[in-house]
Amino acid sequence: MFFSSGNLTARIFERQIRTPRPSTSVNRVRKFYENLVPNHTEYDIDCPDIYFRKFTDDGQYLITFSRNYQELIVYRPTGLSVSFKEDCHFHDVSTKVKRFDSYFNQLYCIPLASSNEVICKDFFLYMDDRQFGLFATSTMHVHEPTFIQGGVHGIPSIEKITFHLLRLEDGVILDEKVFHNDFIHVTSCIGVFIYDDLISILSILYQTIHIFQIRESGNLVEVRRIGSFCRDDDELFLNSHAQVIATDKNKPISSSFSVENNTEHPDDTERNTFFSGIKQRLLSFIFRGIWNEREDDLLRVPLLKKKFYFHFQDYANLVIWKVQFLDRRHLFIKFGSAEGAVSRSTEIHRAFFAVYNMETTEIISFHQNPSDELYLLFEKFCSNFHVASRNSLHANFVTSHSNNLHALELLKVIKSKSTYYSQFVKKILASLPFTCQSQSPSPYFDQSLFRYDEKLISSMERHRQALDYPIKFILRRQPNTHKFKIKPGPDSGSADARQKRIYSFLFHPFLPFAISIQHTFMQSTVVNVHFRR
Amino acid sequence: MSSLGFFSANSPGGSSGSGGGSGGPSGFCPWASTSSVSTSGKRIHKEMMEFSSDPPTDCSAGPNGDNLYHWISTIIAPNGSAYEGGMFFLDIVFPTDYPFRPPKVRFRTRIYHCNVDSNGNISLGILKANGGWSPALTISDVLAAIRSLFINPDPYNPAANSTARLFLTDRAKHDEIAAEWTFRFAS
Repeated sequence: MFFSSGNLTARIFERQIRTPRPSTSVNRVRKFYENLVPNHTEYDIDCPDIYFRKFTDDGQYLITFSRNYQELIVYRPTGLSVSFKEDCHFHDVSTKVKRFDSYFNQLYCIPLASSNEVICKDFFLYMDDRQFGLFATSTMHVHEPTFIQGGVHGIPSIEKITFHLLRLEDGVILDEKVFHNDFIHVTSCIGVFIYDDLISILSILYQTIHIFQIRESGNLVEVRRIGSFCRDDDELFLNSHAQVIATDKNKPISSSFSVENNTEHPDDTERNTFFSGIKQRLLSFIFRGIWNEREDDLLRVPLLKKKFYFHFQDYANLVIWKVQFLDRRHLFIKFGSAEGAVSRSTEIHRAFFAVYNMETTEIISFHQNPSDELYLLFEKFCSNFHVASRNSLHANFVTSHSNNLHALELLKVIKSKSTYYSQFVKKILASLPFTCQSQSPSPYFDQSLFRYDEKLISSMERHRQALDYPIKFILRRQPNTHKFKIKPGPDSGSADARQKRIYSFLFHPFLPFAISIQHTFMQSTVVNVHFRR
Repeated sequence: MSSLGFFSANSPGGSSGSGGGSGGPSGFCPWASTSSVSTSGKRIHKEMMEFSSDPPTDCSAGPNGDNLYHWISTIIAPNGSAYEGGMFFLDIVFPTDYPFRPPKVRFRTRIYHCNVDSNGNISLGILKANGGWSPALTISDVLAAIRSLFINPDPYNPAANSTARLFLTDRAKHDEIAAEWTFRFAS
C-alpha cells in the first residue's frame, strides 16, 4: 500500500529509497504533478491591455502582442513573488497579488510591424534549442482572386507577408523573409512548419514549398524550393540547356503569351505548359500504381481509362493544401481542390495525402481520404505523424493515442460508436497533417495523470465558448478524486449569461501555472491567474 | 462505381470555350458543329475500343474525363533508349472533322528530344495535315510512331535544331543530356 500512496511526503520518501524500473524515472517524476496542481485562482488581475499568444515550450518566455498588433512584448514568467515583510500589511499583499507584474517581468517591447503591416496574432513558432522565435506580419488587405501569372486560379493574394526570426533572449531581429503578392496560411501557423532547424513555408498561390534552414548565425537560408521544380539545380540545368535551343524557344514563348492575354480561362493557359515538377512525380506515381495492378495489357488499359484518365483533370488540378515534416527528408503533403485550399472547413472537400522524399524527389505513398490504410497507420503510429523537434523534451509527453492507453480507448469508443466507418476515418484524418506546435505540453493535459472534459479544455490551442461553471481535473488513478478546478472569467460569474463570451487558456509547459483569458463582447477582458498556493 | 469526377464543382475535362478558331495555338474546341461531332465521335469511340483491345507496347490512353475529343496518353519510355525510366504524359486533341485532319498531340512532360519543341509540340510526319496524315491512320499508329521516336529520333525533321545538331555530331553527349532530363523531369 505504501508504494501507491498519493501522499507527497510518501512519494518523496519512495523516490529516495526505490530505484524506478529502467527508463521510467521521468514518468515517475511526472506523478508529482498529481500533488502539485494550480489549485488557486486570482480572479480578474490588473494587467496591461495586451494580446496573450503563448508560453514558449521551454517555459522561458511569455509572448504577447500590443493591442494594435504593432509591437511584440516579451515577459519572463517568475511566479508569484510577494511575501509578508515585517512592516507589511495584509492589504498590500492582496493588492500585489492582483498585479500582473507580480507574476511576470517585462523583458522588452519592440516594434515588429512596419507602417502598413500588422502582426499575425495567431502566428508564433519557437525553436527550443536556440531560443529563436518566428513571427509573421502582413498587410491587412486580402486581394480577391485575380489571375496572376504562374499562380493558381481562384486563390486570393496578400500584398506582403514578412517572416521575422528573433532571438528571444534580447529581442534582436536576426533575419527577415518577405513574400510579395502571395498567399500563405499564417493564421494558426497552418502554412509553416518547423522541424529542428528546418522551416517549411507553403505558398498556396504559387504552389511552392520553400524550405529554409536556420543557420547557427540566425540567418534564414533557402535550401530547397519544391514546386515547379523538384531539385534545387533543376532550373539552372534547364536554363543552361535552353540557351542552346534559344533560337527555337523565342517564338513559341511569345505565342503562348498572346494566348494568355486573349483567353478568359486560365485552365487553358495552364494546359499550354508542362506539368510542374511535383505534379509530374505525383501523376507518374498514381499511374504506376494502377499500371502495376494488372499484368496483362488488355486488362490494364481499361483499368487505366476508368481509374486514371477519367479522373485525370482532377489529379492534374490538385493543389497543395498543407505540409508537415515527418523527418528531415520526408514531407507529408495534403492535396485537394483549389476551392478547398483557402476555406476553413476543409472536411467537406475531398483530400489526398502524399509522402514525399525531398532528397530523392520521389513520392513514397499516396492515399485518398478516407483511406483505411492511412487510418490504421495513424492509429498505430500516431507519434510518427506528431513530430516535434528532436530536442524538445516536453513535447514527447503530449498525449496522443499512440502513447496513451486512455486516449486510445477513447478513440476506439468513438470508432465503434460511429455508424459510418468511412465518415469516421475521414473526420479523423482531416486533422492531418498536424499544425506545428499547436499543443501545450503542460503535464495537466497528460491523460495518464488527469481526466478532464476535452470539450471544455484540451492541449490544443483553441478559443471556446464560455461557461459558468469551473472545469474539473480528476485524478486518473486511484482514488480518482477531483484534484483541482479552474475557471475563466470573473469570480462571481457573468451578470448576463446570454452574452457571447470566449475563453482561452495558456498553460505553462511545466510549472503549475496558467493564465485564462475571457473576452466578452464589448466589455473588458478578464484575465485570471491560476497557480499553486 | 465511382461518381462523375472528384469535386462536385469541378467538371472533368472543362476544355470547351477557348474560342472558335480551331486553328489557333491552343485549338481546344471540339464542339464547332454538331453534325461532324457525331461522325468523328463515332470514329473516336471505335478507335477507343480498338485501342483497348490491342494497345501498342508501353502505351496507354483514354479520354480525359468524359470528353471524347480530349485524350491523355502515357508512354513509358522503352528500355535501352536514352529516355529509359521516364514516364511521359501527352495531350491528344481530336479536331471536329477527325479523321480528315490529324489529332494534335503534345508532350505535357519535359523532354529533351530533337523532334519536340520547347512547348512540347511534336514534329512527326504523320501528324502533319498536309503531309503524312491519312484518315486510315489511328491513334494507335500515332502513339506507336511517337514511341519509336524514343528509340530512333529523326534529326532530319527537327523541332529543336540544336538538339538535332548535337544528336548528329555527338550522339553520346546527346544521350547523356537526354537521360539527365528524363531523370530530372520525367521520373
